[in-house]
Amino acid sequence: MSFLEVNHIDVFHGDVQVIFDLSLHVEEGEVVSIIGGNGAGKSTLLKTISGLLEPAAGEILFQGSPIHSQPPETIVERGIIHIPEGRRLFTLMTVKDNLIIGAYNRRADGLKEATLEQVYTLFPRLRERQSQLAMTLSGGEQQMVAIGRGLMALPKILMLDEPSLGLAPLLTKNIFEAVRAIADQGTTVVLVEQDVKHSLGMSDRGYVLEHGRTVMEGPAAELMNDPHIKTAYLGL
Amino acid sequence: MTRHQLQILSLVLVGVVSFGLPLVLRSPTYLHILILLYLYAYLTSSWNLVGGFAGVLPLGHAAFVGIGAYTSTILSLQYGLSPWIGMIVGGILAVLVGILIGLPTFKMRGAYFALATIAFGEGIRVMVENIDYIGPLKLNGPRGLEIPPLKTGLTHFMFAGKEPYYYIILVMLILVITITYLISQSKLGYYLNAGGEEPEAAMALGVNVVRCKLIALAMSSFLTALAGTFWAQFTLFIHPKSVISLDMSFEIAFIALIGGRGSIAGPVLGALLLRPVSDFSRIYFGDKLPGLHLIIFGVVLILVMLYQPRGLQEPLTRAYNRLLDRLTGARAEQALGRSRA
Repeated sequence: MSFLEVNHIDVFHGDVQVIFDLSLHVEEGEVVSIIGGNGAGKSTLLKTISGLLEPAAGEILFQGSPIHSQPPETIVERGIIHIPEGRRLFTLMTVKDNLIIGAYNRRADGLKEATLEQVYTLFPRLRERQSQLAMTLSGGEQQMVAIGRGLMALPKILMLDEPSLGLAPLLTKNIFEAVRAIADQGTTVVLVEQDVKHSLGMSDRGYVLEHGRTVMEGPAAELMNDPHIKTAYLGL
Repeated sequence: MTRHQLQILSLVLVGVVSFGLPLVLRSPTYLHILILLYLYAYLTSSWNLVGGFAGVLPLGHAAFVGIGAYTSTILSLQYGLSPWIGMIVGGILAVLVGILIGLPTFKMRGAYFALATIAFGEGIRVMVENIDYIGPLKLNGPRGLEIPPLKTGLTHFMFAGKEPYYYIILVMLILVITITYLISQSKLGYYLNAGGEEPEAAMALGVNVVRCKLIALAMSSFLTALAGTFWAQFTLFIHPKSVISLDMSFEIAFIALIGGRGSIAGPVLGALLLRPVSDFSRIYFGDKLPGLHLIIFGVVLILVMLYQPRGLQEPLTRAYNRLLDRLTGARAEQALGRSRA
């Protein structure tokens, strides 16, 4: 039994089918990359796991029990936290309030002071900026808030959707280092990225999605050396 | 004097002036205008719980006013119950109707939600207009209900002069401002805010956005219905067009948008600015240009949205803070000068 298991799911946006008979599994403590071009269904997959979308067919198991028909708040309570693409901060609240909202679920609420301290240790910049409005932060800092807000929910699995989107190379590096640090502390990470080099470089395994189907899977190092991935995603 | 003391002083000053006004202002016309001003500030503050904090635009709140007005009036006319009891019953009824309306509509976004709430509000008005009796309860259709002014006094919620009404609505307004302030500082306030701005991100964090909005709507419809009872007891005659009018729903939204939705002061400032426009345009142009106030509201709304999209409360709050800075800063300098000398 895997930690998280996705078995043969079909997902639709309205009438349009985005994911076709997709299966994958994530083991406890792993970092798993999901790569693929625009429209491959990466974000849709994360939304389905976190309960924002419901699969039309198939099942999703977390620690052996099904979660695919449960509402997002129950899935969050179980420990699967999704950090959606594009940061999505509450721009007119302070950095600290943004983080505290992350600790909405009952499991995390009681521990929020301690978790907040951990987030500030991971991103010291956020401690300096804690009483600033989120809209006044730079892109990199906003991404730190988005990740910190996810951590506040005490994830067992943290799913990040394009954390490097729109960031300068140096900031991208910082963000990936932070994600690595989170994984090293024992959190399972599912990483959706277009920056294939960085994401595979820090992952244990990877899946390649094309047109809503898994076309390849394997250890990250193997994928990095695959000729198809080299030409299609790494541009080598 | 410290900044905090100055803030309290200005609050006390506003309180003394509003409680003292009827002692100076003897004209019933002006008292009437002030009562309506407070009533709209109250209605808009209640509306603000949903329309401001939760970031949606409900345009059917007059339905809750109507439910409050009709419930207390029917209970007092037919069963001799004090309107104060009817007020609470009306509030509870409005909560039930609010939840029934909220369940399907909160799944919609933006303009669709606004349109759906208009439809519910108007639907309730049309129903009341066409129903004479619900079982033993007499609604009297479009002819409305008249409350005969037989007994006056606090228990009957009926008074000869306007002053008691003035104080009742003033106290109600202070209560609703306190409630909205407490909610804005509570967890619920933050969840509403989060769900209003980025519903998907809030949901991904496990916030049950729809449930938070339903709680806000329940509180909002309860408070709004209380104003309906006040309105009925104040005018002593209600009919569907007076207590469930679309104009009223729109005016509440206008006041909120111009004053600044989502803030505590916005609804009060908006009412302070717009109600006199409404009343004086009715007094002076009511015969030749009825509805002129809505045109003025529209123009003001466009200007405010262009130049102060967060409402007039923002520049005014800034000016108030600068004034406090200046006062406390001046005092700090004085103290410094004294210690040097």
